[in-house]
Amino acid sequence: MKAAPFDYVVADSVEGAVEALADHAGDAALLAGGQTLVPLLALRMAMPGVLIDINRIDGLAGIARSGGATRIGATTRQNTILHDPLVARHVPALARATGFVGHHQTRNRGTIGGSLGLAEPAAEYPATALALGARIEARSPSATREIAIEDYFLGPYTTALDMDEMITAAIFPDWPEDTIHIVHEVARRPGDFALVGLVAAFAVEGGVFTRAGIGWFGMGPTPMKSARAEAALIGQPAATVDLAGIARLAIEDTDPMSDIHADAAYRRTVGARIFERIVGDAIGQRKAA
Amino acid sequence: MSSHAIETIVNGQSISAQVEARHTLADFLRGTAGCTGVHVGCEHGVCGACTVIVDGVAVRSCLMLAVQADGATVATAESLAAPDGTLHRVQQAMKDEYGLQCGFCTPGVVMTLAAITQGRSPDAEEIKDALSGHLCRCTGYQGMLKVAKRLGGEVQA
Amino acid sequence: MNAPADVPLAAARFTGERVPRKEDRRLLTGHGAYVDDVTMAGMVHGMFVRSPIARGRIVAIDVEAARALPGVRAVYTAADLDRHPAKLTGLYGSAESKFPDIWPLAKEDVRHVGDPVAIVLADDRYVAEDGAALVVVEYDDADAVVTIDDAATGAIVHPDLDTNVALMIATPEDPGLEAVFAGAAHVVTGTITHQRQAHVPMETRGIVAALQGSGEMLIHASCQSPHMVARYMDLAFAMPDLHFRVIAKDVGGAFGLKVQPWREEVAIVAAALLIGRPVKWIEDRLENLTASNQAREQDVTVRLAFDADATLLAADIDYRCNLGAYPHGADPNSLAMVMFPGPYKLPRYKFRAQGFYSNTAGQAAYRGPWAMESLARETLLEKAARQIGIDAVELRRRNLITAADQPHTMLTGFVIDRVTPRETLDKLVAHLDTPAFRAEQAAARAAGRYLGLGFAVYVEPTTMAFGGILSSDVADIRIEPTGKVTLTVSTHSQGHGTETTMAQLVADTLGVDIEDVSVMEDDSSRGGFGPGAGGSRQAVSGGGATLIASGKLADKIRAIAAHVLNASPDTISLAGGKVLVAGVAEMTTTVKEIAEIAYYQTERLPEGMEAGLEARHRYRPPPVVYSNAAHACTVEVDVETGMVKILRWVTCEDCGPMINPAVVEGQIAGGVVQGIGGVLYEQISYDARGNPTAVTFKDYLIPTAHDVPELEFLHIATPSASEGGFKGVGEGGAIVGPPTLVNAIADALAPFGADCLTLPLSPPRVLAEIGTRD
Repeated sequence: MKAAPFDYVVADSVEGAVEALADHAGDAALLAGGQTLVPLLALRMAMPGVLIDINRIDGLAGIARSGGATRIGATTRQNTILHDPLVARHVPALARATGFVGHHQTRNRGTIGGSLGLAEPAAEYPATALALGARIEARSPSATREIAIEDYFLGPYTTALDMDEMITAAIFPDWPEDTIHIVHEVARRPGDFALVGLVAAFAVEGGVFTRAGIGWFGMGPTPMKSARAEAALIGQPAATVDLAGIARLAIEDTDPMSDIHADAAYRRTVGARIFERIVGDAIGQRKAA
Repeated sequence: MSSHAIETIVNGQSISAQVEARHTLADFLRGTAGCTGVHVGCEHGVCGACTVIVDGVAVRSCLMLAVQADGATVATAESLAAPDGTLHRVQQAMKDEYGLQCGFCTPGVVMTLAAITQGRSPDAEEIKDALSGHLCRCTGYQGMLKVAKRLGGEVQA
Repeated sequence: MNAPADVPLAAARFTGERVPRKEDRRLLTGHGAYVDDVTMAGMVHGMFVRSPIARGRIVAIDVEAARALPGVRAVYTAADLDRHPAKLTGLYGSAESKFPDIWPLAKEDVRHVGDPVAIVLADDRYVAEDGAALVVVEYDDADAVVTIDDAATGAIVHPDLDTNVALMIATPEDPGLEAVFAGAAHVVTGTITHQRQAHVPMETRGIVAALQGSGEMLIHASCQSPHMVARYMDLAFAMPDLHFRVIAKDVGGAFGLKVQPWREEVAIVAAALLIGRPVKWIEDRLENLTASNQAREQDVTVRLAFDADATLLAADIDYRCNLGAYPHGADPNSLAMVMFPGPYKLPRYKFRAQGFYSNTAGQAAYRGPWAMESLARETLLEKAARQIGIDAVELRRRNLITAADQPHTMLTGFVIDRVTPRETLDKLVAHLDTPAFRAEQAAARAAGRYLGLGFAVYVEPTTMAFGGILSSDVADIRIEPTGKVTLTVSTHSQGHGTETTMAQLVADTLGVDIEDVSVMEDDSSRGGFGPGAGGSRQAVSGGGATLIASGKLADKIRAIAAHVLNASPDTISLAGGKVLVAGVAEMTTTVKEIAEIAYYQTERLPEGMEAGLEARHRYRPPPVVYSNAAHACTVEVDVETGMVKILRWVTCEDCGPMINPAVVEGQIAGGVVQGIGGVLYEQISYDARGNPTAVTFKDYLIPTAHDVPELEFLHIATPSASEGGFKGVGEGGAIVGPPTLVNAIADALAPFGADCLTLPLSPPRVLAEIGTRD
């Protein structure tokens, strides 16, 4: 399990990185934390001609507040996010999701930009970004843009990023102060990809849902968003909403696949069950067992 | 296939070397640096046997390229014990609690333990969580769980 | 050290104690010496080109592009290796076994995904893999024989055989058996299916082979015994003028996979002969999970007959296993047939076992290769208890053999003696507080939570010195002129701790400090043949050899001391490195002084005595030494997700007197957790084309520190008839662990009527058992 030969360049700026991407049109890969890319290289499942190392770009890592949002630089390490006070305060779902990402040792290298760039459908970060309505800040040689998360995941491991474009940050807009954040996953062992994973945020004002974000991982070819369930919740009273019905609706917007660890029917069944129970617990509507 | 000059400090020794871009840090440490205590168990970042400390934190050396360690400070299991042979406290705890059998996963385990207890006071649960990043096929983790309690308790006491 | 001179050595200082392991310092400091740590001048690295299809004919192999790659030094196919033909032999099987011709590399056809077709040798492993990617093999693809059912009805896997059945064994016909079933008050049936597992030692297989001059092949290997590797290579190559020396210092786990070399190791030796340079091959994890031999994949259909009092009347078992294409032997785990009755009184018995060839990776022995007998018996006994409406412990008590029944001749002819199945179960139950658990379980059920308690009891044939390669072990011990002690013994550790346990025996017998004893088991050119690890035998066989050889040496020390000091040998004892004469403290001398006499002042030796302080013993242990255990565990099953959490696990074993309880408990725990892996997590699977579908550690799941309980250990020590009274303990946890856990899960899910007989009990499988999935 040794990688095929490739060239390696260190980018010392974002401009340099995206120019190198453009120069190698389709034959280059960005090396961020490397925790997914390097195994793919070792297995020769990825064989790029050039690796562009973005770890040494000044200012690409870091967590800051700006304009009612939390901006997390692309090469910010997962363990930094896990322990960051701004993330804990403003994006608690992201902090909790991070605890499920890989292991301590891989979180020391793994980055948020790498995870969002790869767009693994069973990974925690893409679904978290989807549930929370994050924006992807991206740069190409010609432009900087922000991509709404709903427009970002196009298919299995496929994103809206152009060939010469890289993620520079993920921007998580603030949710209301008392938002209920839920991160739950059913995984065989710590660090494993989820059989079923749920990230949700619910804003409740005066006992009524005013905003909802529901993202799933391990539940489809991409991270999945339950848009109809989100819409159906708005205006519903938290104390009496038909959670079983909402759970069914939420699952209808997923498209789980079968693999050696769990079949699609399992994922749908368990997804609906944990949605109903976890959300019920979180909003204080726990039915008797 | 590019080749690169790197300078690293491995276990306190400065090493200048020419490395091929695709060479992993694990292979560099085992080969050029002669640190054969860095064990390669899976080469895809799951088993944890190759764990070393890079710039103060525990990482999988099979998931870093050697060229990325240019300018970095690396520590492997060979560096933990004192020059007079006194074992590092995580090594001593592993020995006292029978935390190893075949020893193949062991250097990686002790590097994780050393990294997370360096200047910090994690509790037993956090240590156990970090240990879950290591696969051991011999011990059933019984000794390691005792080590987690002991190190977690030690620092709290 | 402080023993008064007039007290002869009585109490052991080390044996029976939790002595820290001697090997740990080097392993903890990164100074272990594993095969991949060996480098040699001019060494080249091997990479195998492997079949991507499960079954098909090789039409053409084009190696020219690979040979032309800079850094590639050679590319060999089967035709090249045939210059030194090496045929592989099986380790298990009987005269009736059908074993195919097996060669290191595939010849006309490939028979499983991963079948090695060519080998590329290059300056480093990276280039070797580049070269392997350039070898072009054209195949004529054929439908694969993947499952046991495929093998029973499908195409013939090995063209040189006329059947896919490697061996069928059966008990003699019992014409009265059906009448027993017909007249039984209770008949319990079930089919239990165990998935395929991989051994996955953390260190994969590996070898360095280097011709020394023309007559000696020096091999460093990851193995279970350097002697076994040397023997195997000698048999495979059968070259009169070539001698094999095998070195294996540290080995990172084996569990049966490395009990003998297999095709890749033999191919590397052949390659080293051809290229005339040292050759290294270190299996990578992808190869390990696809091409290394594997284990289990068995199904057993059981019928048990009981009378109205739940007394066992008869058993009828049909056992099948998938041996893959190239198993280490053509044997359907025959011991499963012998051992099925286990520690129970079973008056009538029918057993049939078949092993089938298929286009999958071959089977190897794996920690308790016959373990399916305990899994089938213990799970069906608990099913019987549920069906009959009797407590599972009570059902066992009515049927277990007791001390009064021993020696007990099993229906299958083996004679069980000095075992304590009833006592271990009783001690376990007393420790557990079952009534408290049952109350907790009832309360939990009322709240919609499902707790379960499971038991299993078994008896294990260890040592197995009843013939063949496991018949004996040898210990050579010497005291150096410096007073230090060197033991060379035919045991071998892949984590077993024999470097410590054997030293404990020596230190006590010779009355020296354990630090003064070094144990060498790493070199086939020293000491003598022994099978090493395998068959739970090292404490018994190696320990027996060590005890007797040490005793001989102690006798010689006493004889010399008696002669020199003019005392009776009976009055002389050894302790603290000293030689003591009872009641005469001023006559105390040291082992070192006796050694100096034995080597340097030979004129002071008794008349006719051989100089030096050396002794040797080759020990023949009793044919079978039985150990036994009872385990229990409790679980909580999340019926929402099908996830299982193990709450508590208690073991009570009888492995005789323990040399080192910490080492014993380490063996039990390691086996139990491998068993947990087998019940809950691990599964080697294939698709219908024979493609493996769990090829990395992302998909082949073994338990982590997070997934295991903290075991509670209870011990009973009934000496066996072996020297020292020891019994084997290496495999038992993996045998008794799985039924313990399955039974706990089935108990938790009893309200759903679940039997839980299809492994692994993954979350989807558990929900299927409960029957509440959408």
